[in-house]
Amino acid sequence: MLEYAFMQNALLVSVLISLMCPMIGMFLVLRRYSMIGDTLAHASLAGVAVGLLAKVNPIISAFAVTSVFAVLIEVLRQRFRRYAELILVIILSLSVGIAITIISSGMVHTNVEAFLFGSILTVTPDDVLAVAVLCVISLAAVYFLYPQLVMLAFDEDGTKIAGVKTRLINYIFALLVAAMVAVSIRVVGILVISSLIALPVAAALQLGKGFKVTMLAAMVLSFIAIITGLVTSYWLGAAPGGVTALVSVALLLLIIIYKEIRAVL
Amino acid sequence: MIELKHIEFAYESGSELLRDINMQVNDGEYIAIVGENGSGKSTLVKLLLGLLEPSKGELKNTFSSIGYVPQRFETLNSQFPITVYEVMEYYRRILKVADKQAVRRCLEQMHVYDLRDRLIGTLSGGQCQKVLIARALLGSPQLLIFDEPSTGIDVKSQQELYKFMQELHEQGITIITVEHNLKFAARNADKMYHVMNGHGHFCNPQEYVQEYMQDNVGGAE
Repeated sequence: MLEYAFMQNALLVSVLISLMCPMIGMFLVLRRYSMIGDTLAHASLAGVAVGLLAKVNPIISAFAVTSVFAVLIEVLRQRFRRYAELILVIILSLSVGIAITIISSGMVHTNVEAFLFGSILTVTPDDVLAVAVLCVISLAAVYFLYPQLVMLAFDEDGTKIAGVKTRLINYIFALLVAAMVAVSIRVVGILVISSLIALPVAAALQLGKGFKVTMLAAMVLSFIAIITGLVTSYWLGAAPGGVTALVSVALLLLIIIYKEIRAVL
Repeated sequence: MIELKHIEFAYESGSELLRDINMQVNDGEYIAIVGENGSGKSTLVKLLLGLLEPSKGELKNTFSSIGYVPQRFETLNSQFPITVYEVMEYYRRILKVADKQAVRRCLEQMHVYDLRDRLIGTLSGGQCQKVLIARALLGSPQLLIFDEPSTGIDVKSQQELYKFMQELHEQGITIITVEHNLKFAARNADKMYHVMNGHGHFCNPQEYVQEYMQDNVGGAE
């Protein structure tokens, strides 16, 4: 299976996704921003459409356009604190509107399914490079801002009092979410990204451990889900996104059942 | 020293909460802020902490480091997967305190070092409060601000807590505490600042408690 170049590309990207999604997803889930991740995942379709139209690598264009939407959400969130869900609906309408208009007008000729459900056949060496660059920058950003990001999620007031520029950190975080979405589009697919943001984190939270251990556990669970999706996709010819989502749900259920059984015994 | 002159504050949508606050807190003082629910005590604390900007007036602060002890679960997410040690270590890093031993020292000072591997959400009210004080001590604060420190903790822990607060005061740390526990506030505080109808004034702690007892028979805690 791994003798094929397309599988090697897909595997490499999958490993990077299994690092990125739980790492950023952890902060999204704990700050109760999971829906922002979901909205931006859908909004990335506009980025893909714009990239295909402008003949730019769709991962790069998805990152650029999703970043604009992510920052826009952050700006609007500061201004309209009481209408957070409405902001997401507006961004969703705008982005999906752009995507559907471009794709349905026939201005671009592409298999949209591959972007929606994920595909192992379409990962090009250029994609691998784009994903690797985005991942390295994101990992470095999280490494350097780790205490600020954790404390901001845990206790926003305390973090402000400690002198952290919370607004700046929030904008950087918005870009990190955009990077996570862009990285995941090819293999996982736009429709499934949100399951990889939230489910491995939800499962890891069941373990009742500290922050670092929970994040590492989420990465392991995410890795299992993506690799299972990849291998199944190879043997069954199905899109990897579907299996990845199903395995994520199964892992969460298994951990919950295990916990319940242990509590009874 | 913190000095507030003619401070006014109103939330975006609401009416004016603080109308004319004048207050001076000198170095080394222990001030208890008291008042009814919704009188604006917590808003006043947020102004002192710089979390809110006054709509009008002048706020001068000469304390270079301020520690804050929030109400136990008001701002903290009890489900958050974080150990006591992680809370302390990450806070040390964002405060840019170079001394790595500060975490151990502050936890030991509050007698909670043995809880370092526990998740913060699994601690009792008293234990959590001690950890939050240890966290506030990390930056060697000149001023410590408490928001209703005795909320949600048992009587024994309350007695311990106020003993700690008194000890910190004796070490020269200025203390401002929002209080609903009048008994302890009157015993510890040098002065009380009573907030009512958007205005505030200093009063003698013992006299305030006596007055309160007369107005609300059996109402003082």
